[in-house]
Amino acid sequence: MSATDPAGLAAAAPGAEPIQAPRRPGLLSRLLQDPAAVAALAIVVLILLAAIFAPLLAPSDPYESDLSRAMQAPGAEGLPLGADSQGRDLVTRMLYGLRITLLMAFASLVLGGSIGALAGFTAAFYRRAEGPVMRLMDVLLSFPAILVGLALAAIFGAGLTPVVLALAIATIPLAARIVRSSALVVMQQDYIEAARATGMSDSRLIWRHLAPNCLSAVFVFATLRFGQVILLGSALSFLGLGAQPPVAELGAMASEGRNFLFFAPHIAVIPCIGIFVIVLAFNLLGDALRDALDPKLRV
Amino acid sequence: MLRHALHRLLLAIPVLFGVLLIGFLLMQVVPTDAAVVRAGPTATPDVIEAIRRDLGLDQPLYVQFGLYLWRLAHGDLGVSIINNVPVTQELGATVGPTLELMVASLIWAIPFGIILGTIAAYYRGSIADRAIMAISVAGVSVPVFFLGLLLIWLVGFRWQLLPFTGRGGPLWTVDGLKAVILPAITLGGVFIGPIARMTRTSVLDVLSADHIRTARAKGLKERVVVLRHALRNALVPVVTLIGLQIGFLLGGAVVTETIFSWPGVGRLAVGAILSSDFPMAQGCIIMLSLGFILVNLVVDVLYAALDPRIRTA
Repeated sequence: MSATDPAGLAAAAPGAEPIQAPRRPGLLSRLLQDPAAVAALAIVVLILLAAIFAPLLAPSDPYESDLSRAMQAPGAEGLPLGADSQGRDLVTRMLYGLRITLLMAFASLVLGGSIGALAGFTAAFYRRAEGPVMRLMDVLLSFPAILVGLALAAIFGAGLTPVVLALAIATIPLAARIVRSSALVVMQQDYIEAARATGMSDSRLIWRHLAPNCLSAVFVFATLRFGQVILLGSALSFLGLGAQPPVAELGAMASEGRNFLFFAPHIAVIPCIGIFVIVLAFNLLGDALRDALDPKLRV
Repeated sequence: MLRHALHRLLLAIPVLFGVLLIGFLLMQVVPTDAAVVRAGPTATPDVIEAIRRDLGLDQPLYVQFGLYLWRLAHGDLGVSIINNVPVTQELGATVGPTLELMVASLIWAIPFGIILGTIAAYYRGSIADRAIMAISVAGVSVPVFFLGLLLIWLVGFRWQLLPFTGRGGPLWTVDGLKAVILPAITLGGVFIGPIARMTRTSVLDVLSADHIRTARAKGLKERVVVLRHALRNALVPVVTLIGLQIGFLLGGAVVTETIFSWPGVGRLAVGAILSSDFPMAQGCIIMLSLGFILVNLVVDVLYAALDPRIRTA
C-alpha cells in the first residue's frame, strides 16, 4: 500500500550534490522554516509523548468497563471524548490505543527495515549477490501487504503478531530498494575508495562509512513508511484479523465502534480521527524531511 | 513489444509459483484434515480413508503438491468447511462483484485525480494548487474504513440518500448503480491523492521540456499544448503509479467490501479466515494473488505501449 511515490523516495539519496557546495544551514533549521513541517513535527512529538506516558496521563484503566455510562457522547460529565459501548473512557482508550498502534508500526518497521537494509547493502556492496537478492525482493514486492496479512492470519489465526510479521515482510523489499539505491550513490564517492585502499575490512567499511551516509534516505523512507504501516495495520485490525477486542488498538476500536455507528458514531469516529492525524503528521513530516534533505526535489 | 510482454510473463512465473506454494503450505499447517472435510460430518472411517487415498493425502509432500497443482488446473480448490459448497463455485460468484467495485472506483478516481493534478501543476503555487495538494496529502493519510464509515453514517443513515449494504443488482439497473456509488466513492477516494500528486509532478516536469516550448512557439492554443503535448507525455509515470497501487487498491477493496457488505472476494476471504474455513481462505488468497499478478502484467504491457522507449529495456 505504498501511497507515496517510490521514485521520489529513491531520489532522496544523499551525496548527489557537488562537494564544494557552501555549508547549508542544518537540517533542523531548514525543517523549521516550513510551517507545515513544524506543525507535523509538533504533532509527532506530542503523539509519541502521549503514547509513552499513557499510563501516567490516562484518567482511568483502559479495560475497566462501567455499563452505566456506556456510549456516553463526548462532553459528558468527566468524559471529554465520551465512552465506548462498555462504558470505557475514550480518552484512556485512545492513549493506550495510540501506544499499541505505534508499537505495532514501530516493531514491523524495525524488523522489516533492518532485514531490508541488510539485503540492500549486500546487493550494493557485493555485485555478484545483486541479481539474486534484488530478484527475490521483486518477488516479495509482488505480494501486496494486505495479501501477506490475510495469508498469515489464515495460518496463525488473528492477532497482533501476524500483523507485525505481515507488515515487516511487506516493508523488506521497499527498504532494500531504497538502501541499495542510496548505497550505490555513496559507493561511488572518493572516500569509500580511500577507505578501501587502506585495507579496511568489508564489514567495517559498510558500518563505518557506507551505512552512516545512507542514513538520511533511510530516515525519510522510515518516516513515510511509518504512516503507511499504521494505515495497513489498523485496516487489518479493523477487519478483525489483528488486535482482538478488548485490546485498545485504534483499528480494533474503530471496528468495535462500527457496530454502534448509528447510535453513538463517536465510538468509531474518534479512533479513526486518531489514525488519520497520526498518519497525516508522519506523511507531512516525511515530505518535509525529503525536501529539506534534498531541495532539488522540491517541485 | 512482444519481447517485452514475454519477458514480463517469464518474470511472473516465479511469483505465480510462490503464490501456489504458499497456498499449498497454508493447507499443510492448518489443523484440519481435508479428507474429513470432503467426506462430510456423517462419513464412516472407511469412506474417509478412501477419500484420503483418492486425494493422494497418503503420498509424500512433493507428490501432494503435484496433485494439488493438477486439481487446481482443473478448477478444484476443495470444498468449504462451513457450507460444503465447492470453493471454486463460491469464488466464481464473488469475482464479478469485486471487479465491478474496482472498475466503478477507478472509472471516476483516475480521471478526477489526473484533472486535479493537471490543474495543480498548471496553476502552480496558486491557492488551487495548495488546496489540491492538501486534499491529496489528506487522501493518502485517511484510513479507507474512516471514509466508508463517514459515508455510511452521513449519506446512508442521516440523509438516507443512498443504500449502503450489499449489491443492488447488475450495474446497468438503477438499484445496482445506486448501491455501488458509496463503495466506489470510498475506494476511489483514497486513490485520488496519489494520482493527483503524481500527475502534478509529472506535468510540471513535462511543461518545462523543449517540445512544449516549441509547441508554444508554433502558436498553438494553450489548451492544445497542455492537453495534447504535455498531459499525454506526463501520463506515463501516472500509469506506472496506478500499476504500483494495484496492491493498495486490493487492500482497499477488502476493507470496502467488508464495510459495505459487498459480496466480493475480499469479504469472502475475511469471512473465511475469521471462521477458520481453510479451503475457502486458501482459494480466496490464491484468487486475489492471481488477479494481482495478472493486473500487474497488463499494466506492464500497457506501460510499454505508452512509452516506446521501455520496450527494448
